[in-house]
Amino acid sequence: MIVVEQLVKSFGSNRVLHGIDHTQSRGEAVVLIGPSGCGKSTFLRCLNQLETADSGSISVAGVTVKSGQKESRAASHKLQRELRMKTGMVFQQFNLFPHLTALQNVTTAPVVVKRMNRRAAEVLGRELLAKVGLEQKADAYPAQLSGGQQQRVAIARALAMQPEVMLFDEPTSALDPELRDEVLRVMRQLVEEGMTTIVVTHEMQFARDMADKVLFFDAGRVAESGPPEEIFGNPRNERTREFLKRVAVK
Amino acid sequence: MKHALRWARSGGALTIAILLLLGGSGHAFAADTLDSIRARGELLWGADAEGGAPYVYPDPEHPEKLIGFEVDLANALANRLGVKARVVQNQWDQLIPALERGNFDIILNGLEITPQNQQQINFARPYYVYAQQIVTLTGTTNLTTLADLKGHPVGVLAATAAQRLVQAFGGIDVRIYPGNVENFQDMKAGRIDAAVLDLPIALFYAKPDPALRLSGEPFAPGYYGIGVRRTDPELLAALNQAIADLLADGTIEKIDRKYGLWDERQAVLKDYHQEAVAQRKTISTLREWPKYLPLLLRGAVTTIELSVLGMALAMVTGLVIVLIRLYSVAPFRWFAQAYVEFIRGTPLLIQLFLIYYGLPEIGIRLNAFVAAVVGLGLNYAASEAENYRAGIQAVPRGQMEAAQALGMSHGQALRHVILPQALRMVIPPVTNDFIAMFKDSSIVSVITMVELTKVYGMLAMSTYDYIGLGLMTAGIYFALSYPASIFAGRLERRLQRDRR
Repeated sequence: MIVVEQLVKSFGSNRVLHGIDHTQSRGEAVVLIGPSGCGKSTFLRCLNQLETADSGSISVAGVTVKSGQKESRAASHKLQRELRMKTGMVFQQFNLFPHLTALQNVTTAPVVVKRMNRRAAEVLGRELLAKVGLEQKADAYPAQLSGGQQQRVAIARALAMQPEVMLFDEPTSALDPELRDEVLRVMRQLVEEGMTTIVVTHEMQFARDMADKVLFFDAGRVAESGPPEEIFGNPRNERTREFLKRVAVK
Repeated sequence: MKHALRWARSGGALTIAILLLLGGSGHAFAADTLDSIRARGELLWGADAEGGAPYVYPDPEHPEKLIGFEVDLANALANRLGVKARVVQNQWDQLIPALERGNFDIILNGLEITPQNQQQINFARPYYVYAQQIVTLTGTTNLTTLADLKGHPVGVLAATAAQRLVQAFGGIDVRIYPGNVENFQDMKAGRIDAAVLDLPIALFYAKPDPALRLSGEPFAPGYYGIGVRRTDPELLAALNQAIADLLADGTIEKIDRKYGLWDERQAVLKDYHQEAVAQRKTISTLREWPKYLPLLLRGAVTTIELSVLGMALAMVTGLVIVLIRLYSVAPFRWFAQAYVEFIRGTPLLIQLFLIYYGLPEIGIRLNAFVAAVVGLGLNYAASEAENYRAGIQAVPRGQMEAAQALGMSHGQALRHVILPQALRMVIPPVTNDFIAMFKDSSIVSVITMVELTKVYGMLAMSTYDYIGLGLMTAGIYFALSYPASIFAGRLERRLQRDRR
């Protein structure tokens, strides 16, 4: 389903990913943890081409983008968009479109990108808003919604493109603690339904409960990986232990 | 830049009207000006060098120096009064109000002695006999009298006896120009068939030009006189004596001959007797508003048409420019940027002149209305492009990322996500620009458009009621621009409900 090989990415002279390898099968939920600046968000953003890697290859659901190769601009753009269509992204800052209602936020991309009939898109949109528990907020603008509600609309928006993989980039970090649960509940539901997901998060409880595999990132490398009971119960890497201690104290 | 231009053009008179209203009397001197002239050793004479040759104009050989038969005359007169002469530059059709304000001591600049002018100021005895002359292209032979001009587009110089004469004659399509050269320029561009001008202008400019001919005999003779404030009888007497002396000793004939202006008509100057002049009749245009307001409103309609069409052009062109500038490839991007910088770095007045008088030289002949809309529109397009750019750059980066993450192309993201947000943000600055253009549109009178401010100027010239007309005109501008800003405020609030 997902195969990443030798992914390298630098910002200027600062190398943030030192050749990441990662494989993930359909229906698996993977959680990325690690100190800030360790490269986990950049890895996620490379997966849906918001960042272009310097070298290495990314393959998602049969679409493969190889970085650092000489291709025509148009061809690489086309491949990039194909890869993006396979993945849905949820951002830390929600990034809802403030000029559109909740429903329009969900329906715009299917109509514009997939040329979906507007009425069909609205049916789909209301279904998805119901799924995240916001069917009554269809006509509200983002500014009229709480942070937790906005993030749930953002999840519905990503789902509307019917992606094969859902990527969550610290989806609860910008939320007050009492609003996090409603978002985490929706994410649990998705994982239970068998959605392939990659989550960057500091929610250790979520990682413990839901992850099939946990990757610990440190300084642009995967320092340790394994099932959650192993990582949390018996971390082998010194850095992992330190990190988990710090998180637990918090 | 825009403010300065507005001031420099006819709008300045409006400001003067308001200053007069605030400051009471505009007269700066209580005692007779002759005393102050002697005390300071200088005679200040008002003239407009833009009015041109042969009156007062920059010497082509030494452009920093003014020459002309009136420069020589002013020096000769000052000499008689025992002082030096110094010219004060002033727009020609505002010379009388400026004299009354006390900006200078006398007007000496081809000012015709007419009943209207005499109601406002005193005239010394005339120093030149002028006549009107029809000028056409060399190939035109059938336009030799005013009657022949009926139905033809005919150019005149703003605020001249020729303008009054041609307008009063009726049936002639009158186009009003700010200067002499534009008249001939436009005739060669085919926009007008003839021009009616004071003979000295025709002799100086048209006679040596093989493309132009003096058509028919000079007609409607009249006098040029020196304008003096009504409160300066001693100065008037001194000037009368000086002119009589200069006529008697042949100085004036010598000056006229130097500029090719002497003719047998001038003989009558020596035994001129001033006729009694009717007292100035004050017209209150405010009291007679039903007569004047409709004329102003008709000008306002043109102003509205110009600014609405001009702004529409500016908004569309500005959008194209900003999209090229931000998202296109190198050579196009440079072009868009150069356009913005060039337009913002040059005055609107010059751009209008280039479009209206310059483009015909390369075969593009726009009528005045189209030229005005294009000039205003292309000028404001640069500002709108900058407004849009600020709006687009104020949309958070995450918006583009979210749109692209959903599979939208760059163009789709721009159209459905970025621009709708950016355009909401630029409503206030764009509205401000619209209101500014609304007022800036007065500048297009320089390419013969008659809009609100021009109507004001024309009416004020014939009624001398700068205050009443000024208040009415300012009232119309305000009545139109204030609702525009209220409307914009509402629109902004309605579109920004998503930000509550």
